[in-house]
Amino acid sequence: MAEQAAARRWLSGLAAHGRPLILATVSAGVVVGLATIAQMAFLAGIVHQGIVGEVPLEELTLLFAGVVMAILVRGIAQGLQARFAARCSRKVRSQVRREISRCWQATGPVAMGQISAGTLAREWLDHTDALHGYFGRFLPQMLLAVIVPLLILAVVFSLDWLAGIFLLLSAPLIPLFMALVGMGAEKLNQRHFQTIGRLSGQFLDKVRGLTTLQLFGQTAPAAETLRQRSDDYRRVTMKTLRIAFLSSAVLEFFASVAIAVVAIYIGFGLLGYITYGPSDELTLFSGLLVLLLAPEFFQPLRLLSQHYHDRAAAMGASAEIVDRLQQVDEEETPVKRAFQPRAPDQVSVQDLSVAYDPERPVLDQVSIEIRKGDVIALTGPSGGGKSSLLYLIAGFMQPDAGTISVFGDAPGEQPFGWLGQSPFLVHGTWADNLRLTTPDASDVAIETALRQVGLGDLLNSRERGIYSRITEDGQGLSGGQARRLSLARVFVANYDLILLDEPTAGLDSDSEIYILQALHKLAKAGKTLIFATHHQALLTLANRTLLVSEGGVKDA
Amino acid sequence: MRELWPWLTLIFRRPGRLFVGGILILATLLSGMGLLALSGWFITATALTGLLLAAGVQASLNLYVPGGGIRFFAVARTVARYAERVYNHDTVLRLLTDIRVALFERLSLSARYRRNALRGPQWLSRLTNDVDALDTLYLRLIAPAALAALVTAILIAVAGIFYSQDLALGLLITLVPAFLVATVVVFLRTRHLVYRQTDARERVRTDVIEHIEGFAELTAAGRTGKHAALCLRQADQIARNDSRADTRTGWNLGLAQVMVNLAVVLALWMGLQLFQQESISGPVVVLLPVALLGLLEVYSMLPDAFARLGGTLASAARLNRDCAAESGTGPGAEQLPLDSGHALELERVTIRFGDHSPVLSRFDLTVPTGEWVSVIGSSGAGKSSLAEVMAGLEKPASGCARRLPSAYLTQQTVLFEDTLKANLLIGRPDARDADLWRVLELVAMADRFTHEPAQLNTWLGSMGSQLSGGEARRIALARVLLNESPLLVLDEPFTGVDSETRDSIAAGMKQWLAGKTVVALGHAPEALPASDRTIRLS
Repeated sequence: MAEQAAARRWLSGLAAHGRPLILATVSAGVVVGLATIAQMAFLAGIVHQGIVGEVPLEELTLLFAGVVMAILVRGIAQGLQARFAARCSRKVRSQVRREISRCWQATGPVAMGQISAGTLAREWLDHTDALHGYFGRFLPQMLLAVIVPLLILAVVFSLDWLAGIFLLLSAPLIPLFMALVGMGAEKLNQRHFQTIGRLSGQFLDKVRGLTTLQLFGQTAPAAETLRQRSDDYRRVTMKTLRIAFLSSAVLEFFASVAIAVVAIYIGFGLLGYITYGPSDELTLFSGLLVLLLAPEFFQPLRLLSQHYHDRAAAMGASAEIVDRLQQVDEEETPVKRAFQPRAPDQVSVQDLSVAYDPERPVLDQVSIEIRKGDVIALTGPSGGGKSSLLYLIAGFMQPDAGTISVFGDAPGEQPFGWLGQSPFLVHGTWADNLRLTTPDASDVAIETALRQVGLGDLLNSRERGIYSRITEDGQGLSGGQARRLSLARVFVANYDLILLDEPTAGLDSDSEIYILQALHKLAKAGKTLIFATHHQALLTLANRTLLVSEGGVKDA
Repeated sequence: MRELWPWLTLIFRRPGRLFVGGILILATLLSGMGLLALSGWFITATALTGLLLAAGVQASLNLYVPGGGIRFFAVARTVARYAERVYNHDTVLRLLTDIRVALFERLSLSARYRRNALRGPQWLSRLTNDVDALDTLYLRLIAPAALAALVTAILIAVAGIFYSQDLALGLLITLVPAFLVATVVVFLRTRHLVYRQTDARERVRTDVIEHIEGFAELTAAGRTGKHAALCLRQADQIARNDSRADTRTGWNLGLAQVMVNLAVVLALWMGLQLFQQESISGPVVVLLPVALLGLLEVYSMLPDAFARLGGTLASAARLNRDCAAESGTGPGAEQLPLDSGHALELERVTIRFGDHSPVLSRFDLTVPTGEWVSVIGSSGAGKSSLAEVMAGLEKPASGCARRLPSAYLTQQTVLFEDTLKANLLIGRPDARDADLWRVLELVAMADRFTHEPAQLNTWLGSMGSQLSGGEARRIALARVLLNESPLLVLDEPFTGVDSETRDSIAAGMKQWLAGKTVVALGHAPEALPASDRTIRLS
């Protein structure tokens, strides 16, 4: 329930953001309602004049012109309503995506790495799109379902208050009616989507294991099981649906009966059979107008019940988005402590502490000075804090206490090279992949960088050189080749500081040699390299080895 | 439109249900229109009679027939609407089953499915969406459009018969374009906007996933903001297309309604002409325009459905493509018969992916019947591809593979959301319960299930009993062991199984599989049962 409330709050915050367009949508909808009332009034007027007054057609031209005008206004307002609604939805979705992207940046790479990329992408793309129906259809309709019936009610009351009361009674207090519709529609939707979900689940389960079924020659029995299961689900669902549909039948029933009652009351009133109330003032004009307006009175409510699933979808999606956004708020609150710049020619770590578990700090009051051009190997037991130290110097994580200055700047302030354990490729060409981090790299620089990391042969085998796609026909690069590609990004960018997390772990010996050579070249070029490793060859490459363990860092 | 044919024929395999469902919708629409039209007629008639009575003229009006009619239509509309919703929902759920079963059958015959590209989670979720788009084709599109056309035709005919030929012609001229504007025109104007949306979304999804996977490197290079902006721009482009399609749909709806309303005005104008020529009575004048007003509701459902048709066509096209049975590059002349003493012969087998250098080149292997062979190779050495060739799931890039009928344990553990028994019976459909318990005993899983209340009928999967990776692996192994094929290909049979259990299972397998040929593939000898021969892939 708390989740629901948070989702609702967040949605209304978004609604405030899109308010001008929502108001425009609703205004257009109100114009549609007013034009409809005018159209019906003109129609009733024409019928009255033409049939009771027996006015010749030529004298009715003005009224006919009026009705055509009202119709045109109604059509135009309808188009505008759709246009405003579409723009509102687009604006809100764009805003939400921006908000999530900002949240990711605040979360930082370390925490982001804990969550599956597919889940995050789904939140960004699909959950955001699930807000479309809510802002484009449901929200404006919710307002219109109150305003338009009230307008119509006012007109009917002015014509004949008893007919007005009939309408009012048939929709006893619009909000109550809406709640009834809402509850029914919500239950119905849940049921429906649950069933569809289960059916899809059964289907996908079989499709996923299709190879296995094929191998054992069991596809035909599986299809039969699928059919039977689906049929069972259908029977169970239909039982509930029969009840759930009753709620919309109630709305339908009230609408139909109200029209019938109003028609019969007006007919008897016009005949003079009703001797009380305002019925002796009824004319064909007022009677017909009340009748024509009666269905329009219920129409907005029916539309609202059709759009109710938009609300359910938006609530579900926003609950998950809000959850993600709040996680960041909680984690991000602590530090933005004052940064003290230190010597511009060194990476300086002062009294640094960080702990995931307060009992057992990963780093406890660590201080180190690394000079520009140093090649530093961090070694020590896994879980000893090597990676944490790298993350902190990278600015991917905030320390609990202490300060870090990277060549006189705060960590992460200046671009630097990063080579993580999982290689990162984008669909596209070799050039795309290197320009991702260095957009203005020249073709020559890209080709040189790729050759530096030993990808020259692979590049030569491709027809279009650096402009051929990395993955052609299925299989991509091997793990080692992919890591070398990431290293090529570092080469092309010419960073001063390069951080590497286990750069050779799990690589074949070929790739290992290329990476060692490449790092050697970087070291000779005067770059500052800091890497976490256990690998002997890498340790010899370093001019200083630091042992990170039990919360402390010391020279090994 | 041709892409829809296979699915339309599937849907129309239930003509009776579709017809009854259509009749119920028609009854709903006609009672709605009848209610309003008759009420309009009644009010006009009573007004005229009332005036005569007030003027002291003797006049009478039969109140019972129209009064009864109004009450009948009011009740009929509610009842028909309820019946229609229940009945048609049932139909939709039946069609949903039909479509899924048919799709599954087609997929299981399709050669394409075997390609890796079609098995990822992204493909599965897209498949779900594509099938969903087809489920509602009948209820959202076919039935409303057909009935709108039918009701329009009825009204035009009524106008021609009871009013005048001219009025019928006038209605034809206004209503036919209105129908087209609400249907075909919407489709044509939105088709190019929505047709590529799913593909565009998948491209953005790929980019966003890359953005997240490369977050550390992008952050280090100070490029997260720029790259996020790129993703945002792409997503916004999609939203813009959505928004344009919605706007066009809205304008078309507005235009169609204007045209229907103009038909109302036309009917009133010409009706009054007829009235003043005294060829029809006053109440009859009102009847037709009010009935025409009821058309608005019928037409209002159409533009939205037709705006989605472009996307539905794209879905159908994708499904057709993914399920297409490929004309397999036939086995050719290479299929020499298998030597009688052999269970498996690989001759100069080369395995490669695309234009990459082959993972395995001119590989020869002959396995005599009854031999146990271990194949050892590090990850990426082409083990699983070799296993697929051995099991006959894939064809080698060159060379040939001949084998006895085989059972194959894939590297990935595949269990179905079903009972334990159903999962095992896939291996041998005619196995008795006793056989199942014996094989469970062998893989050291019998104890696990004798304690479950449902025993062999214990439900596996997300909704039932949760198995650990090693337990699931052993069930999958048990399924292969049940199978009666003379050749077994086992790819990493003991993933996630601790060494003690592994040894006891391996010992049990020796007895159970006596006389059969076994090729086991793994990353190290200790991951495989003891064998007569060990081959290392380099």
